[in-house]
Amino acid sequence: MLTVQNLNVFYGSLQALHDVSLEVREGEFVTLIGSNGAGKTTLLRTISGLLAPASGEITFRGERLNGLSTHDICERGLIQVPEGRELFPRMSVVDNLDIGAYPPPARRQRLQSREEVFRLLPRLEERRNQDAGTLSGGEQQMLAIGRALMARPSLLMLDEPSLGLAPILVKHIMEILQELNRQGLTILLVSQEVRLALSLADRAYVLENGRIIRSGTGRELLADTGIVSAYLGL
Amino acid sequence: MLVGLAILLVLALLPLARPSTYFLGFMLILFMYAALASSWNILGGFTGYLSFGHAAFFGLGAYTTALLLFYLKWSPFWTMPLGGLVAAVFAALVGYPCLRLRGPYFSLVTLILTLAVSIIILNAPWTKGAFGMFLPFPPVDIFTNHVIFYEVMLALMVLAALVARQIERSKLGMGLAAIRENEDVAQTLGVNVTWLKMEVFLISAFLTGMIGGIYSYYISYLHPSFVFDTLISINIVLMALFGGRLTWLGPLLGASILSVVNEILTLQVEAQLARIVFGLLLIGVIIFLPDGIMAAAAPFIRRLLGQSRRRLRPSSG
Repeated sequence: MLTVQNLNVFYGSLQALHDVSLEVREGEFVTLIGSNGAGKTTLLRTISGLLAPASGEITFRGERLNGLSTHDICERGLIQVPEGRELFPRMSVVDNLDIGAYPPPARRQRLQSREEVFRLLPRLEERRNQDAGTLSGGEQQMLAIGRALMARPSLLMLDEPSLGLAPILVKHIMEILQELNRQGLTILLVSQEVRLALSLADRAYVLENGRIIRSGTGRELLADTGIVSAYLGL
Repeated sequence: MLVGLAILLVLALLPLARPSTYFLGFMLILFMYAALASSWNILGGFTGYLSFGHAAFFGLGAYTTALLLFYLKWSPFWTMPLGGLVAAVFAALVGYPCLRLRGPYFSLVTLILTLAVSIIILNAPWTKGAFGMFLPFPPVDIFTNHVIFYEVMLALMVLAALVARQIERSKLGMGLAAIRENEDVAQTLGVNVTWLKMEVFLISAFLTGMIGGIYSYYISYLHPSFVFDTLISINIVLMALFGGRLTWLGPLLGASILSVVNEILTLQVEAQLARIVFGLLLIGVIIFLPDGIMAAAAPFIRRLLGQSRRRLRPSSG
């Protein structure tokens, strides 16, 4: 579904990604792990079109994405939940959700999408008229996911959705993602919650210093003592 | 809504009461600033791109109609859309590079643009440069003259306010709000930020140019320092910010209050003091009322009207 081939990305003269290749197949749950500064966010931002790669190719459902602007990529169903949630804090929950349905194809199904989001995340319905900035951290993350779902993604990319959340909420968020995946949504998850993320993933990649150094099924990587010790300190 | 229409009707019929030409003159400048602040707000308020250079569009509109009147005897009442068009074309030329700048950089560049355009107009041979241009009056007596400009400025104010209101309530307004709150995120949500910003920049410039096009006919003597005045740019910004830039109503309110304050200070005290008070107001508003008096008064108005919460845009669902 999504193929990234030999991607090289620079910040000025500093190379952030080296020959990164990665694949996400339809219906899969793929996890990308790596320490801080490994280039995980850079990779997602490049796929979304927010950063231009120096070389390499990104294709989504057979179509080349390089050079397309971010909103065009968005319209094709490749939606990102940004790191740090990035909600519109002064707007209500409903307004935040509605903005998620901005691309014309999603716009037509806005009300239906909202119902679906509320069914999946009932907490949001309880708080529907509250300003997003007044929600708790966990609720804000749910809203960020809900907003992305409003765009009716076919592939959802999430950048550290568990950042700064209590363990119980982390588990809850992960369960939501698992449920979405079960309903047929393809997921590319970036997470530092290595054990949890790997146990959910069909497949996973390990990014280190801008290079993919390992890939395999989630189970394989969990069994790899090197990975577990490097990222869990065990 | 009904209240708005009633106020509008009273304003439109006001000249029937034969007020003084001084009063009509004061009111029409108030309408002009309300129209300018509304036009400015479509860009500055809704997207957060604070232009300090709207005098450039105002002046270009003013010179366009003035030159057409001076050389071709075309009435500004018909050519004012051309004034808007020239301002919009200029906005299109400068918008592409300028709208890539954010925050204070955008404000600074727009500020400098006004100065640049002003110097070009000052030194062009066909604008009479520093001598200024004397324009023919409309062939009516002084009172009728004021009534005509009063009604035209009122109409322009209504036009600008309606355009702003329409944009605020549309899908476009939602995209603009997303840009204002966080442009990067807006992009990842599928908002075509480049085009949206350009679109409202052009609309804003067009309206501003039209208003300038009528103003030059009204003052009938045109000099670059009258219309390419940084003070005009700053007044527009201040009025919109003071009233409240999140809604279309804010700039109208801000322009009305500050015009009255300015008039009283200038007449009763002195112009110097008015400038100082305005400067202090600008600082105070930015620090204490970043969303203007509309936002500060919203809880009281809500309680008064028994309405539910304030919305950045009305919900349709």
